Amino acid sequence: MTYDFLPSVAAPLARLIEEFHKLPGIGPKSAQRLAYYLIRMPAEEARSLAEAVLAVKERVIFCSVCQNITESSPCYLCSHEGRDRSRICVVEEPLDVLSLERTQAYKGLYHVLHGVISPASGIGPDDLRLRELLERLKGNEVGEVILATNPSLEGENTSMYIQRMLAPLGLRVTRLARGLPVGGDLEYADEVTLSRALEGRQEV
Amino acid sequence: MPYAPKTYKTEAIVLRHFPFGEADYLLTLYTPGRGKVRAVAKGARRIKSKLGGHVEPPMRTSLFMSKGQNLDSVGQAEALEGFRPLREDLQRLSQALYMLELVDAFSQEDQPNYPLYRLTLDSLRSLSQSESENAPPALLPFFQMRILDYTGFRPELQRCVECDEGLEPGLHSFSPGSGGALCDACHPSGVGILPMSLNAIKVLRFLQRETMPSAERLTLEQETLDEVDRLLGSLIRYVLDRDLKSSRFLQQVTVGGSKG
Repeated sequence: MTYDFLPSVAAPLARLIEEFHKLPGIGPKSAQRLAYYLIRMPAEEARSLAEAVLAVKERVIFCSVCQNITESSPCYLCSHEGRDRSRICVVEEPLDVLSLERTQAYKGLYHVLHGVISPASGIGPDDLRLRELLERLKGNEVGEVILATNPSLEGENTSMYIQRMLAPLGLRVTRLARGLPVGGDLEYADEVTLSRALEGRQEV
Repeated sequence: MPYAPKTYKTEAIVLRHFPFGEADYLLTLYTPGRGKVRAVAKGARRIKSKLGGHVEPPMRTSLFMSKGQNLDSVGQAEALEGFRPLREDLQRLSQALYMLELVDAFSQEDQPNYPLYRLTLDSLRSLSQSESENAPPALLPFFQMRILDYTGFRPELQRCVECDEGLEPGLHSFSPGSGGALCDACHPSGVGILPMSLNAIKVLRFLQRETMPSAERLTLEQETLDEVDRLLGSLIRYVLDRDLKSSRFLQQVTVGGSKG
């Protein structure tokens, strides 16, 4: 999209519209609305927005250990002394770390893959942070790898691939249990979930 | 004005899904009566979604759909076959994903092709039910050959595609561009033309002629299997004018064994 043909739009404004248009889910009309909104915004708010955008690009890096997004490497979790270093939980996305941390039930470390194997979209094992995971496991510190990818087709696929990749290392490799969600309804459960829930039933 | 229903029921094989919007999946379905259908499954990515577990590839599922202006949407879904053994085996799953991508690539929206639906379903069942550790080796070539057949790209393997003479037993060539075998007399040369051994042409003819149960029982030497795979692959690449994305992963999983 270019506004060259519209001389009535001031050049800086046209540029801002173009920049907004590059964002996901933003069409030409939304881009225009956002740009015109910014014009009416107080100067300090606009500056704060601009600084936030710059800060996120300049100060946020990937943790050299767990590959999570962080401000300092190694990240808070990887350098925390209270964490159990014998366990690594492998997740698809940084947001999954937040979800698992909210449970307060896991005290080990993480490894973020930044994606999932999706043959249909052409995303293969080489596009994930798998080499970094193998590097981490070379030391003798780690005793268990927990595969916490999503219970979706791609998540299962990735988990099976990692399982096979780690087999020669002789580590304990576990997978998050699959079964019924809290607050769910048996009526709507699919056969794969239900049969796994049956298999994983526990003494009460 | 004739009454046009806004909803319909169908069963479908889920060919693929990809994340869409906040918590939805965009599905590509293959139905017996409507061919390929693209639809939205609202909220299917939420952990408590009533749809989620019923619309995962490569499930066969029963659907209640609402028609939309651009995309139909899934109202209710119930999985009919989950193909669980297939989902729990990397090798078979990658084969199944390759098959599903092939169906997606060879089919058009709203063009029913019941034989293709049947073929897909039978192949998934065969992959899933196979008792031996590995899937039947000739299943994938059989699937490739049949899908070419059912979509109008059946290769000519009885006569030379240039001179129309019957083929004598011997070493021949295969031309993806002309869609079949070339005899030696036609001095085949040129881009994309592959040599085709006597064994390979016999296997290809067998796959064209026989039914799935016979193909399942067929055992092949790795060399012949590789050649058949190369020949069919070249024809598929010629017809689609691209490589399938999942074929690379299939190769990685098959050749690589355990990496690391």
